[in-house]
Amino acid sequence: MKIFSESHKTVFVVDHCPYMAESCRQHVEFDMLVKNRTQGIIPLAPISKSLWTCSVESSMEYCRIMYDIFPFKKLLMAALAAVGPPNPRADPECCSILHGLVAAVEALCKITEYQHEARTMLMENAERVGNRGRIICITNAKSDSHVRMLEDCVQETIHEHNKLAANSDHLMQIQKCELVLIHTYPVGEDSLVSDRPKKELSPVLTSEVHSVRAGRHLATKLNVLVQQHFDLASTTITNIPMKEEQHANTSANYDVELLHHKEAHVDFLKSGDNHVGGNSREGTFKETVTLKWCTPRTNSVELHYCTGAYRISPVDVNSRPSSCLTNFLLNGRSVLLEQPRKSGSKVISHMLSSHGGEIFLHVLSSSRSILEDPPSISEGCGGRVTDYRITDFGEFMRENRLTPFLEPRYKIDGSLEIPLERAKEQLEKHTRYWPMIISQTTIFNMQAVVPLASVIVKEAMTDEDVLNCQKTIYNLVDMERKNDPLPISTVGTRGKGPKRDEQYRIMWNELETLVRAHINNSDKHQRVLECLVACRSKPPEEEERKKRGRKREEKEDKSEKSGKDYEQDKPWQESERLKGLLDREKEELAEAEVIKDSPDSPEPPNKKPLITMDEMPVVEKAKGPMSLLSLWSNRINTANSRKHQEFIGRLNSVNNKAELYQHLKEENGMETTENGKTGRQ
Amino acid sequence: MPTVVVMDVSLSMTRPVSVEGSEEYQRKHLAVHGLTMLFEHMATNYKLEFTALVVFSSLWELMVPFTRDYNTLQEALSNMDDYDKTCLESALLGVCNIVQQEWGAAIPCQVVLVTDGCLGIGRGSLRHSLATHNQRSESNRFPLPFPFPSKLYVMCMANLEELQSTDSLDCLERLIDLNNGEGQIFTIDGPLCLKNVQSMFGKLIDLAYTPFHAVLKCGHLTSDVQVFPRPEPFIIDEEIDPIPKAINTDLEIVGFVDIADISSPPVLSRHLVLPIALNREGDEVGPGITDDTEDENSANQIAGKIPNFCVLLHGSLKVEGMVAVVQLGPEWYGMLYSQADSKKKSNLMMSLFEPGPEPLPWLGKMAQLGPISDAKENPYGDDDNKSPFPLQPKNKRSYAQNVTVWIKPSGLQTDVQKILRNARKLPEKTQTFYKELNRLRKAALAFGFLDLLKGVADMLERECTLLPDTAHPDAAFQLTHAAQQLKVASTGASEYAAYDHNVAPLQTDFPSTGTERM
Repeated sequence: MKIFSESHKTVFVVDHCPYMAESCRQHVEFDMLVKNRTQGIIPLAPISKSLWTCSVESSMEYCRIMYDIFPFKKLLMAALAAVGPPNPRADPECCSILHGLVAAVEALCKITEYQHEARTMLMENAERVGNRGRIICITNAKSDSHVRMLEDCVQETIHEHNKLAANSDHLMQIQKCELVLIHTYPVGEDSLVSDRPKKELSPVLTSEVHSVRAGRHLATKLNVLVQQHFDLASTTITNIPMKEEQHANTSANYDVELLHHKEAHVDFLKSGDNHVGGNSREGTFKETVTLKWCTPRTNSVELHYCTGAYRISPVDVNSRPSSCLTNFLLNGRSVLLEQPRKSGSKVISHMLSSHGGEIFLHVLSSSRSILEDPPSISEGCGGRVTDYRITDFGEFMRENRLTPFLEPRYKIDGSLEIPLERAKEQLEKHTRYWPMIISQTTIFNMQAVVPLASVIVKEAMTDEDVLNCQKTIYNLVDMERKNDPLPISTVGTRGKGPKRDEQYRIMWNELETLVRAHINNSDKHQRVLECLVACRSKPPEEEERKKRGRKREEKEDKSEKSGKDYEQDKPWQESERLKGLLDREKEELAEAEVIKDSPDSPEPPNKKPLITMDEMPVVEKAKGPMSLLSLWSNRINTANSRKHQEFIGRLNSVNNKAELYQHLKEENGMETTENGKTGRQ
Repeated sequence: MPTVVVMDVSLSMTRPVSVEGSEEYQRKHLAVHGLTMLFEHMATNYKLEFTALVVFSSLWELMVPFTRDYNTLQEALSNMDDYDKTCLESALLGVCNIVQQEWGAAIPCQVVLVTDGCLGIGRGSLRHSLATHNQRSESNRFPLPFPFPSKLYVMCMANLEELQSTDSLDCLERLIDLNNGEGQIFTIDGPLCLKNVQSMFGKLIDLAYTPFHAVLKCGHLTSDVQVFPRPEPFIIDEEIDPIPKAINTDLEIVGFVDIADISSPPVLSRHLVLPIALNREGDEVGPGITDDTEDENSANQIAGKIPNFCVLLHGSLKVEGMVAVVQLGPEWYGMLYSQADSKKKSNLMMSLFEPGPEPLPWLGKMAQLGPISDAKENPYGDDDNKSPFPLQPKNKRSYAQNVTVWIKPSGLQTDVQKILRNARKLPEKTQTFYKELNRLRKAALAFGFLDLLKGVADMLERECTLLPDTAHPDAAFQLTHAAQQLKVASTGASEYAAYDHNVAPLQTDFPSTGTERM
């Protein structure tokens, strides 16, 4: 339905003339006597509604249904309540329906908020916003010519008001007006007015006439009209199990009829599937589709493939079955509905569910899926990788959940802040350094790093946050001094892993990458980096030197190459590659509890091999925060070393142990091999 | 979008085509050549598409039901016989039935009609169908427009001049018009030969069968993906500016929501999101796309071992029971989630919401969704025990409040009974009694139903006379007071008759749980 169709504006004009105070001549029993109190009491006489009462309550019902299904963009004028009933003794002239019709036309000329919005948005194309409306006039007309007189009146009024509106910024010309004249009269009388289908009186005005008896006939008529005017359709939910009021342990099955937009039946309409519905009640015009209440119920964590959701309104809102159903749904439960089929196959086509106090009829897809039998995600790119940080990303998702911000918020420069943009910014920050697999990261496998990692991604840090980051760093320094093992992955590696000091360098490097990714967030982030740089194990020059020393003992070219990569302070990916290529020592994984996502990790062996012990003292010396003394002596040593030539033996030494009489070996080698290309043993 | 290939096998398709060289070609052969090219393309680049093959002359036959097995389709092409005359209407009717039986009326389908532009003679010819189009009843309506969303592509084994020499082109254009303009006519450029047929089918492939590639982004985490089936541009049904909207090739995740909160939302369409490995030439290695040759298998294996963001995202969405909200364009959103096909197989899926600032009323305006860290306190609670969703609408719907409807007598009777029930339990139920009384009073005044007020007043007075001896004395006072107030209201005379006035309980001095009796 187009937004600015006739249904955008509806004006009810209910005749307030003295005749409307006439009884509709349908009795209502209101004094229903309860059993066991009836003896000797005569119930009070039934009463009957006036034409006015019937008209008002039918109009209200029209509005109720419409507001339930279209809470927005459809407007009505109905200021009925305060008017009061017509006075049968009043002068018929002074409360003529004509005044009402004139007022209705006036109202249609007024620009609605939605029209105003649309006009403002389109700027120079503002004239493309339509202005159409509908007038529903409930009256008691005297004859067909009286009806024509009313139509002429509307016609003329529109003409005049359009002239006025043409010269006004606050009014819009009426392009199309639908006049629905309902002539109502007491039951038992003959109608003096004949029905007439919709007829075009002028390019602007169409009119139709309905002649209806008052009471429930009028209510039924307006119910049919609201369906026509707003493209509604009816669904009857059948087989609703309901506890009996009297016998709480038995239940009977009930039916409830709901109205909703007819799109919810699109599948039936298109396929011409008439086996459902066609159930006619209260006259031949009323069609309803019957759907069966379906057990078991669905749970809320299931995501159904739903092709549409439409607001509903119960036809008989106050009846016990209706209110039982709606209360059941409003309490947060959902009901699947199935099409009754003769063949016995079960086709679930709809679902009733409430969202925040509004009930929707969901249309579920019941046809074959064109996406059936897709290749599994494990067969595609990245499908063979088994150590994704699934739990960590789950945590990440929960931190990046969305929440509505209904109050407008403003940035420092006074411009409006869009919450969704904030959400995108946060995702950007949180993913600046986010390794996808466990074997690509060390720091995210360490519980000790969590306090830093969780706050460093923040846009702004508190002093306490900074303090926590610093504590984390000191803690890591402490771990390094104590030579605690690190959870470095052994996935895809053979033999020995990297040595302990090497591991710590990898860890520090990774941590620095993480922190560096955020230094531009604020000064406090900068402070964390300063702390990290000051505390981390070794200044690069010394590392370089140590490396050179070690290179000689490394036998594999690969590790030498990646060692260089590392020294050049390449981005983190490079250092990851280093880790992947270096052989690892399995025992380094001793602290299994810090590895969150890899239950497959090898068990830590009980004994440490002796080889690592050899290196201990050397490693120990270089670990931990620099003391002033060590800084000083390093400096002196470096300065001194420039002044003399280093002994060749010491230069070539491994762990300060130099092999003596190397030349003898080389000579021996010469004897055995022609080219003299022998390595040390 | 499933495809139905509708192939004309009437005699006119066997007309020879003069081609240089020794071999003699018929139009049929050109058609087979073109379709072979289409099937080969689909087998490599569009493997998940379901395709069916229908042949027709004066009758029609479903040669191959919907399948992804392109070898079967290919084989069927070589097993076609020649039949009598062209009768398009019955063939289109056949397509209607086949598609609806298989997919229902909601799934969009592409119909590729291959014909030579000879549209038959006499009854059942397209000319005859179109001429009688206006004289049809609902029972024998013309099959177009198709009852399902569709595109009708007409592949003519003829060039434009040939079609224009008769009224064939006009008829075919009418056909597209009848399908609400959804579709296109392709003709051969220049002389009829294999090369020109290829270029005609090439145009169809470009238009309808190029895979949709996009980049899925979540901050700095990205993955190249193919979205299948291709998301089609969406036209918003609105009188202001009906411009078709197409989705971005950057699919940007904006945040996450629990499945229970998003709550089976209505969607326009569903799509598989398949990670692909693009190499420099722009060729791809991915699921459902490559041939089973050994080279590509090993390429697949390598790609399988490189960590991919899609797999990580899918795994976490599945474990956490969440969806990722993804922005598809300006004011257009969708969601990513894990969809299980069976116990073993599951996949990353994307559903598109209807374009607009507020596709789901229970989430509110999408632009107003922000990160939880901006909220004063975590809206999900410290123990993850609450949720900011669903958003409550400003006004309650009629069924969520206590509305008064008296159209059926039972509605009125229930309301009167409620007052009566409480009247008998005075003074304990004084509050409820007056609440119900005021509700009835207000509704009666609004409806101008003054007789009811009088009636209920009479009833309360009667109840007063029926009070048992054991009744609390306050009961009689309250009943009399209430009855009198209703009578005042029914005359409409004094200020007590005003709509906004509320009847208050009579102030009495009795102790509320009085045991003393006078």
